Amino acid sequence: MKLWKKMVLITAASLLVSAGASTAVVIYHAVRYNQEKTVESCEQQLKAAAYAVGRELDYEPFGSFSEAAADAYYAYVLQKYGASKYILIKGDEVVCNGTPFELLRPGDARWGSEEGCSVIQEKENQYILIAGRHVPATGNRDYKLVLVQDISSVYADIRGQAFFYLAIYLGIAAVMAFLVFLMTRRVLLPLRELEKAARDISGGRLERRARVRTRDEIGVMARAFNAMAAQIESQFRELEAESERRRQMLGSLTHELKTPMTSIMGYADSLLHVKLGEQQQEKALSHIYRECGRLGRLSSKLMCLIGMYDNVSIRMEAVCVRDVFECVANLEEENLKKKNLTLICACRSGVWRLDRDLFESLLINLIDNAVRASRDGQAIFLTGGEEKISVRDQGCGIPPEELPRVTEAFYMVDKARSRKNGGSGLGLALCERIAQLHGARLQIESVPGEGTEVTVRFPQMKTTDA
Amino acid sequence: MKILVIEDDTAISELICMNLEAAGYAPIPLFDGLEVQRRLENGEDTDAALALVDVMLPGRDGFALMEDLQGWQIPVIYLTAKDDVLSKVHGLKAGAEDYIVKPFEVLELLVRMEKVLKRTGRGREKLLIRDVVIDLREHCVTKAGKPVALKPMEYELLVALAQSKNVAFSRDELLDQVWGVDYAGETRTVDVHIGKLRKKLDFYDVIRTVSKTGYRLEDTV
Repeated sequence: MKLWKKMVLITAASLLVSAGASTAVVIYHAVRYNQEKTVESCEQQLKAAAYAVGRELDYEPFGSFSEAAADAYYAYVLQKYGASKYILIKGDEVVCNGTPFELLRPGDARWGSEEGCSVIQEKENQYILIAGRHVPATGNRDYKLVLVQDISSVYADIRGQAFFYLAIYLGIAAVMAFLVFLMTRRVLLPLRELEKAARDISGGRLERRARVRTRDEIGVMARAFNAMAAQIESQFRELEAESERRRQMLGSLTHELKTPMTSIMGYADSLLHVKLGEQQQEKALSHIYRECGRLGRLSSKLMCLIGMYDNVSIRMEAVCVRDVFECVANLEEENLKKKNLTLICACRSGVWRLDRDLFESLLINLIDNAVRASRDGQAIFLTGGEEKISVRDQGCGIPPEELPRVTEAFYMVDKARSRKNGGSGLGLALCERIAQLHGARLQIESVPGEGTEVTVRFPQMKTTDA
Repeated sequence: MKILVIEDDTAISELICMNLEAAGYAPIPLFDGLEVQRRLENGEDTDAALALVDVMLPGRDGFALMEDLQGWQIPVIYLTAKDDVLSKVHGLKAGAEDYIVKPFEVLELLVRMEKVLKRTGRGREKLLIRDVVIDLREHCVTKAGKPVALKPMEYELLVALAQSKNVAFSRDELLDQVWGVDYAGETRTVDVHIGKLRKKLDFYDVIRTVSKTGYRLEDTV
């Protein structure tokens, strides 16, 4: 059963029951009250009549009346006080009955009590009040006066009222049930919107949000739901972007692998099947050798990059920055000599927490890039400062539109040149990953024709002076 | 016969040129898309019979170069590492004669080039091997000026070997190319015909048996 049906049913049922019960109680009390009032007034009448009848029967000469005269006298007395209501009893015998009713047991002790006694009898939808009492002050004679009155009209009134109440009650109940239905629908409307939104989102419309502005629990839930949807959407977009990047990287990787493979296969094929001169054979062999070297470099860098993605087992240790700089400068000496470049190192001596191997490889990659960009005789600056290390060259620079993409794996600004100089297109991607592992950030600034500066920024690097 | 080799990777460029030279063509290596455009605009190399074009080129990519080359009616064969169907369709629709995916085999490249040249009416009319002249238009062979009578299959075999001279064919490749893919004969057939060619043309030291492979028609480059 739907929630709104449940709510309407429960509310309507409880309203009906409580209102019905209270109305019933009210009607019951009204009946009782009217009945008591009637009985009371009858008893009052009876009391007064009994007293008056008693006085009349005390009439002195009455004792000597003949039976016929006595009957006439009884009739006269009753007539005087309203004969149609009363029955006069002497001992156990009815001596005079002015009512249309007949008393079944005139000797009943109830009718002879001093305080009076009343009974209501129901017969064929007629309610008859029978009240009796002892007639006082009649000497030795035992007289009882019984009042019989049809009080059906009292009940008829009440029944009429009850039907009226019932009609009002049913009318109000119907209106209330309808109102409850409307209100429940209104209160639950946001739930339906929420449901639709959830359906839409699971159907792929991730940008969909629930339009619920109420401040009740449903509103709170809707806001939580929207927050969840937003979170899921952003994560999904991130994942999509990531998978797109991976896909592109894989595509580039295939291309990067195919190029040297084409050479190796082609030269090997030529050596096997084509008649070549001795010089050409040597050339083919040297090409195969060189391209294999390129594949080797590519695969080792790739392994490095993949390793750093999958296995974050870096060993942070306290390292003297100056040592690292010296070590890197030594490693690069030969490389620099080839192009007649000078490396100018400047740094405050300090001890930083780094993974030494990774950090050296980061610096070497940056310096290799600088060497490739530089012309003969230029200088490369390796500077260490507060929370940052930068490598600056005076080389060809990077066009501004290429800057955002240079850290992508396999992205090369000038492919032909880069390959010739031994670039794999992975260097900066590697650097960025290493920087990330150190909680640092790569910042690349470049002016075409004037040079490039790559800065590794450490936001929370604790440096201690040695 | 001039062939433009437009390829930015020096190793691959040299590889292609080396083989084209061996097969008797005159390759012109070009490394940059813009360079190609400039040269064509200046009227250089416009007499090239064919262009082998890499798709991913610095400066101006291979697809963009198509219009420059078509302007001079130079047929184009794309030579690329991109082997997705879309790139192929794109390349062929743009007007390329063929599309070869890297890595490729030297023989495949030469055979496909020959087919394109023939189709575009640029095929070589005469092939010269030492004192033997093969006239492709007249379908006749002369040795030192004297005609040599060859059976049709012997002639086709000689032409296949001579068009990709200095490159070795396997027996199966020769069967496919000369007798057709549907031919159900044995590789012995090839050996028999090679023997007859050697005898009729005195090519004992020209058509060489390459161990583990097949045959190669050798000539000085």
